[in-house]
Amino acid sequence: MTAAESIHQRSPAVLPGVDVLGYAGGRLSEVLWVAYRSLRKLSRNPFLLFFTLMMPIIWLGMFSQTFGTVFERAASSSGQAPLGYDYIAVLLPGIAVMSAIQSAAQSGFSMVSDIETGFMDKFLVAPISRSSVLVGKTLADGIRMAAQTGIVLAIAFLFTLLFGWRIPFASGLAGDAMIVLLTASFGVAFAGLSNSVALFTKNTESTMAVSFTLTFPLLFLSTAMLPAALLPSWLQTFSKFNPVSYVASAARSLILTGFNWTEIGQAFLAVAIIGVLLYSLAVLAFRRQGR
Amino acid sequence: MSAVTARSRFEEGVGIPSPTPMIAVEDLVKVYGGADGAGGAVRAVDGIRFHVDTGEFFGFLGPNGSGKTTTIKMLTTLLRPTSGRLSVAGYDVVKDAAKVRRILGYTGQSIGVDGDLTGRENLRLVGHLYHLPGNVVRDRVEELLGLLQLTEAADRPANTYSGGMRRRLDLGSGLVHHPSLLFLDEPTTGLDPQTRNAVWEYLRRVHREERTTIFLTTQYMEEADQLCERLAIMDHGRIVAEGTPRDLKAAIGSNLVTVRLPLDDGFTAARSRALGVVQSIPGVEDVVEFDQGVTMRAAHGGATLLEILQRLESAQIPVQEVAASSPTLDQVFLRHTGREMRVEEVQPPSRFAAGRERREGR
Ligand SMILES: Nc1ncnc2c1ncn2[C@@H]1O[C@H](COP(=O)(O)OP(=O)(O)OP(=O)(O)O)[C@@H](O)[C@H]1O
Ligand SMILES: [Mg+2]
Repeated sequence: MTAAESIHQRSPAVLPGVDVLGYAGGRLSEVLWVAYRSLRKLSRNPFLLFFTLMMPIIWLGMFSQTFGTVFERAASSSGQAPLGYDYIAVLLPGIAVMSAIQSAAQSGFSMVSDIETGFMDKFLVAPISRSSVLVGKTLADGIRMAAQTGIVLAIAFLFTLLFGWRIPFASGLAGDAMIVLLTASFGVAFAGLSNSVALFTKNTESTMAVSFTLTFPLLFLSTAMLPAALLPSWLQTFSKFNPVSYVASAARSLILTGFNWTEIGQAFLAVAIIGVLLYSLAVLAFRRQGR
Repeated sequence: MSAVTARSRFEEGVGIPSPTPMIAVEDLVKVYGGADGAGGAVRAVDGIRFHVDTGEFFGFLGPNGSGKTTTIKMLTTLLRPTSGRLSVAGYDVVKDAAKVRRILGYTGQSIGVDGDLTGRENLRLVGHLYHLPGNVVRDRVEELLGLLQLTEAADRPANTYSGGMRRRLDLGSGLVHHPSLLFLDEPTTGLDPQTRNAVWEYLRRVHREERTTIFLTTQYMEEADQLCERLAIMDHGRIVAEGTPRDLKAAIGSNLVTVRLPLDDGFTAARSRALGVVQSIPGVEDVVEFDQGVTMRAAHGGATLLEILQRLESAQIPVQEVAASSPTLDQVFLRHTGREMRVEEVQPPSRFAAGRERREGR
């Protein structure tokens, strides 16, 4: 042990940082540094940054054109009083969820690329927790997802003011903040899948294949694009088991009618369940590295 | 190395327990794949045993695929051994991985710098991952940038760096936290001779001034010879020889002697006579003709050399030049493996199927 002690004395700078911050503080600083690095990378790629942030707007425009008339015909043929809002108000929360899923599906790519370039070894030889790497990376993705949702909501609001789009924004700014929180936390939770596949396969193509194969069914077999009432009955049943539906419905109510705490509670529960499942898998995959 | 051993021997003599070696490895084995019985298992490291003393500059010399990287990855907690024991600074590398990670610095064979970050950001990130206080990180990073001559390029993204600059940056990122033990996997592969010399000089300084124990792998005989106080020669996952470069070469026990003859009309005849003469001298082996004369291996240094000269003289063979060279590590390798260690300057196939990072210098 004498040698070990003398080594610690010779590199005194290594330990105090941890002691001063305490264990939790040490972990937090690891997570934040990992996240900071991911965001820095993003900022060095302005094209990527621009397109990730603008993607939801493009989708919003696109889907409102394709599904808009279908929705309005269906809504008017139901014989009820005319709706006080456009289809785009129904679609907006769905698009927010969709972009979060999309970003989540790509989350594992940076993991694979770090493994391929050997940068991952820098994390792995450092005295930091494995989960700090995982959490730091997905935290950065979460921030990106929050920015995506925030921007698409802001632009939709602007269009409502300027061009007379009929979007109620029933729960105001607080409701928008809740939508951002909901979609970003859902995206972060779902990113556990892409990262698990990335860590198990260490291969971009597999990560892409698995993520995209799951992304679109999850999205379209849910209430994200159309409210449950307009879906065929088998799909209504299926969508009840799809966590995406809970997040989309809660977000939709926030836009159309206001805070519905039951729905919001269910949505966060769904997020928590898939988060726990997928991150357990991802941590397992992380620990398996180097076996 | 001699100083270290001398001291520990002395301490043993007066009853002070000798310090734990910095690295101790016993019966280490790594088998890749094949666990599912599908065959194709690769025994990359096949039962090696060695130790490295505190403060020593130790090297692994071996050709492609001999198991150098595999060993270094197991020592740096990146890879789990199949079996065997390995400890660093007295800590079990598998059980106490977290403690071992605080002590070591590592620069891998593939350059692990983030091309999107600047040189300065790369180094700072590593400093913060080691939980160094902010001002310590700042000072240390500036110091390293200066030492590695990267100050001017420090604020450029690393993917604009040349291969040599990326290598140096990567080297720096292994040093940010003043590791007591530094692992370097082929640190100069892909560098031009000048940069290679600068890196050597820098490593010597780190070793001398920061008293860092260094474990280095290389395919270059010259590098091992220049830097390492002691080295192990690896081949097919085994250590085939171990010792100081000097002892290893001395164990060969023979010099390479080259006799050049005048290239006149009588050359061919003179050469075959010379061949016959030297072949009969005891201690001379492996006599070979070449386009300017003959070469041979001569045991016992000076005495045999003198004998060669005298015999050639008395046989009246005109001699243009006689040159004797000490054994090289190439010969050591040849002796222990029966093969020449060829180092193709072609890089080993990269691990990357596709990557957007620039990878020159690998
Ligand atoms: N991940 C892996 N899976 C299967 N086999 C591997 C793996 N990594 C290395 N090997 C095999 O193990 C053996 C030793 O490889 P290693 O990388 O340790 O050699 P090396 O001495 O570092 O070679 P080089 O000089 O080319 O870097 C080789 O036969 C190699 O093909
Ligand atoms: Mg190698």
